[in-house]
Amino acid sequence: MSETARVPLDFKPSGPPAIEIENLVKRFGALAAVDGVSLSIPRGICYALLGPNGAGKTTLSRMIGAVSRGDAGKLTVLGRDPWREQSEVKARLGVVMQDEVFDEDLNVLRNLQIYGLFFGRRGEAYERKIREMLKFVQLEGREQMPIQALSGGMRRRLMIARALLNEPELLILDEPTTGLDPQVRHAIWATLRALKAKGMTVLLTTHYMEEAEQLADLVGILHKGKLVVEGPPSGLIAKHLPRFVLEFDAHKDGAALDAIAAKSAIERHGDRAFVFHDSEETLRGWATASRLQGSPVRAASLEDVFLKLTGRTLDE
Amino acid sequence: MSEELSDAAAPAAIAAQEEAGAAPRAPAGFKRVYAVWFRHFRVYSNFFFANATPAIFEPLFLMLAVGLGVGNYIKQTFNGGLDYASFMAPGILAMTSLYTAAFEASYGTFIRYMYQKTYHGMLATPLTRRDIFLGELLWCGTKGMLFSSLVGLVLFLFGKVHSPAAVLIPAVGFVTSVAFAGLSFFVTSFVNSINHFQYYFTVVLTPLTFFSGLMFPVQELPANLAYIAYALPMFHVIETFRLVVSGPEHSSVPWAWACPFVLVGMAVTLGYIGVRRMEGKLKP
Repeated sequence: MSETARVPLDFKPSGPPAIEIENLVKRFGALAAVDGVSLSIPRGICYALLGPNGAGKTTLSRMIGAVSRGDAGKLTVLGRDPWREQSEVKARLGVVMQDEVFDEDLNVLRNLQIYGLFFGRRGEAYERKIREMLKFVQLEGREQMPIQALSGGMRRRLMIARALLNEPELLILDEPTTGLDPQVRHAIWATLRALKAKGMTVLLTTHYMEEAEQLADLVGILHKGKLVVEGPPSGLIAKHLPRFVLEFDAHKDGAALDAIAAKSAIERHGDRAFVFHDSEETLRGWATASRLQGSPVRAASLEDVFLKLTGRTLDE
Repeated sequence: MSEELSDAAAPAAIAAQEEAGAAPRAPAGFKRVYAVWFRHFRVYSNFFFANATPAIFEPLFLMLAVGLGVGNYIKQTFNGGLDYASFMAPGILAMTSLYTAAFEASYGTFIRYMYQKTYHGMLATPLTRRDIFLGELLWCGTKGMLFSSLVGLVLFLFGKVHSPAAVLIPAVGFVTSVAFAGLSFFVTSFVNSINHFQYYFTVVLTPLTFFSGLMFPVQELPANLAYIAYALPMFHVIETFRLVVSGPEHSSVPWAWACPFVLVGMAVTLGYIGVRRMEGKLKP
């Protein structure tokens, strides 16, 4: 049983799903961080778990990553129970965590060699793989560089390279671009798109709308431990909202509020007022009539969907 | 350098692996534990001497200043004819093994847990919580083995080693360090601030070291006090070292033969409890 509003996929997945979750619950004391989530992630797609801080994204991805155990419900990753068969499941995963964990006293190559040992990988083939992956994330020739000499962006790329060394079937990324500047963020998105193009299944947690819209085939929005809505990004917006939105400051532009309220329903969230409509022209007309400054009309986004469904913004 | 990446640069090996359809298998349990051990070996061999310093030099300075220095003024003999420095030698080895393990499994473990997030990184790989702490326990044993051997060599050069059984020093050092790594894991599992280890070292380990037969023969204490000393884990460690360094004729008590068994029992029990506690600290 699930209350999740689902928008159907715009493609037909083949084969058994990479991840299947039924009514999964994880509690920390009295708090249910994940509170009865059900979802199914087909192989070969990028799935973005979206939600504000504290929504349960990391908790859910830790359970999927076989690091944490659910308190109730059913979880299957790559056809296995990730808690009972931790090592077997984790051998087939690539994980990029929020914390960049390296042995700071060792150089890049030594770090990757030790990491390989945890997967039972070593020797010439593995060394070749290291060179190949460093090249892929544009860190070639940096084998001897001390970890401490790497920039934030380089460290994050090294994390991604490291997560790929065991040739994973599923790549889990927890907030992969949080705290990075826009240029590095775009570089990482390019990397992830390239992997997706090769058929890698990717599970991404993020609170950046743009990240989900850029990368994800399927988006699940978590709110207070529950999956409130799921579907392809464009489909989600289409299902829940008209195509365009007029957004303005309800206090500063109080006159506009009254004028537009006569024509259409207005949603208020704090100081902000939102008017949704399928016609961009109509909205522009209203904005001009009320002398709203700037360009207050834009396409409806996932953020608006989230706001509509939960009454909260994602960055809260 | 450019931060730009090209979409076309996707590595061929990913696709190749998928075509082959070979699901990578996790390494066997002992290989995972070895991998953890090797990680510590690799990281700490970088700073071998810095790491070895407190555990080796503090006991050796104690030996120089007290064993040889003060001992020079002590004409009495101990435990059946030993000079004072020879009497102290087993305790010095015990102290080396204890502090080697205690530093590594308290400050070292806590730093890896709290600041370096080493274990969180390891958990993203096929390693289980048990692999991580079992590997670390064995690494502590290995370090104790190496350092007690080095100190044993110095004691030998001072002429304070009297039994050929001293070749067993590395083995006793290993078991001792495993036992105290287990105890230190246990303590670490309760600690939330690195400053709390001060209590452990000052209130627990220091008296444990000094009142277990390192500096004076505890068997000559009034009976009740002697029994307390016999109950301390360190007494059994020192007596085991005494068996191999000086020989059974210089034991403190007639039942010293039982001490190695008590020591092994402690290593197994404390090691098990300590690993279990740390597994729990790394919350699922």
